[in-house]
Amino acid sequence: MALSPSRRRAITLSVLAGVTAVGLYQAGGVGNGVRGLAGGVLRPFSWAVNLVAAPIGHLLAGAVNYSDLVSQNQQLRSQLGKAQLAAGVNSGASQTLAALDAVLHLPFIGSTPSVVAQVVSVSPTNFAATVTLSKGAADGLLPGMPVVANGGVVGRIITTTNHGATVRLVTDANSSLNVTFGKQATTVLVDGRGVNNGLAMSGIPVTAPLTIGQILLSSSLSGSTMPGGLPVAKVTSISVTPGSSTYAATVSPVADLAHLSFVDVLLWEPST
Amino acid sequence: MGAIDVSRLLATLVVLTGLLVAVQVDVLSHVRIFGVVVMVVWLWPLVLGLLGAGPLAMVVGAVSGLCFDAHAATNFGLNAAVGCAVAAVALRLERNGVGDIDGAAWWTAPALAAVGGVVAPLLLIVAGAFTLDFSLWRGSLMTTMVVNGVAFALVSRPLLVGTRIVTGLAPARR
Repeated sequence: MALSPSRRRAITLSVLAGVTAVGLYQAGGVGNGVRGLAGGVLRPFSWAVNLVAAPIGHLLAGAVNYSDLVSQNQQLRSQLGKAQLAAGVNSGASQTLAALDAVLHLPFIGSTPSVVAQVVSVSPTNFAATVTLSKGAADGLLPGMPVVANGGVVGRIITTTNHGATVRLVTDANSSLNVTFGKQATTVLVDGRGVNNGLAMSGIPVTAPLTIGQILLSSSLSGSTMPGGLPVAKVTSISVTPGSSTYAATVSPVADLAHLSFVDVLLWEPST
Repeated sequence: MGAIDVSRLLATLVVLTGLLVAVQVDVLSHVRIFGVVVMVVWLWPLVLGLLGAGPLAMVVGAVSGLCFDAHAATNFGLNAAVGCAVAAVALRLERNGVGDIDGAAWWTAPALAAVGGVVAPLLLIVAGAFTLDFSLWRGSLMTTMVVNGVAFALVSRPLLVGTRIVTGLAPARR
């Protein structure tokens, strides 16, 4: 049965629109331009809403959580004291390490330059685990650079503007990292499972010993997306299938991703 | 509707849409229920469609979606596509006299909104597949659907009534 001209035209236009849309997404350039424009349009509205909402939110939060804030403040003071003590102890150790490094020419992660940035917003959607930083390309940040905070790896930068950067958290469904553990330095892949769902790790050889609570460090294999030795995740559960040569584990990020305020961006790029 | 009425409606919708998207980005993204963000930018075109805003509802759905997309790390345009689709369905319902907040039973509009809240995340995932992003389903999809469904059901009627008061929009009487 022959198609009517109008239906044929509609089908042709749909196919062309589909191909164009996929092409634009793959190219990325147009999308970024429109994204910037839309962000600019919304800025005055955001400013107005923040002006009204922020004081009300602070008032309510302060009234409801005052006792929590006091106890949190005491805890933070205690932690700060411990951290200052540890910093004093560590400074002597790091001097020794730096001296050894100079002698042995070993890569020393502590010497990786970093930029401190503030987390200005969290992802507003349910489908991507990201945060936005207050610093960007003008401060030397580049896509791919690792971000650490709260005692562990937070994620990697995926896009930058002049004065902002978006970080894909390790829990994002599109995130995966090489980690290593044990005396044999077994290397496996840790995948994000989406917002609120933590991390997962599978294909662990049964010969590799793994225990609950064990810390997994970023791998330093050639081509890794992170410098080696950074704490990435902690094992929370292990599941073994009888007869299988591998097993799986559920892991959670070492860094507290729910309370990010300041982060360190390591000015480190993967080796090619 | 006269030219002045249309201009006034357009101006009102632009301001309301801007404010709603700002609330979505700046407030609701921090008020997560079971870790889920309630997506008012999807409910807004649904409400406008049910109120008989005509094709304007689809335009508003697309624009509010684009503004939201500007702040999200998902592929640009996905939320605009969902907003447009939701508005189109609401328009069709309004033209068939379904969901009329005066004529129909009180629970009709909240029920339709609940269905919208459940289906909209699925639409986003389907739209994501067209941009070759197949990872969106790996988040908390079920929780997102349930929370948005319940929230849409609760918020829809006050939003419908409020929008009608502010804009003067009303479904066509048959």
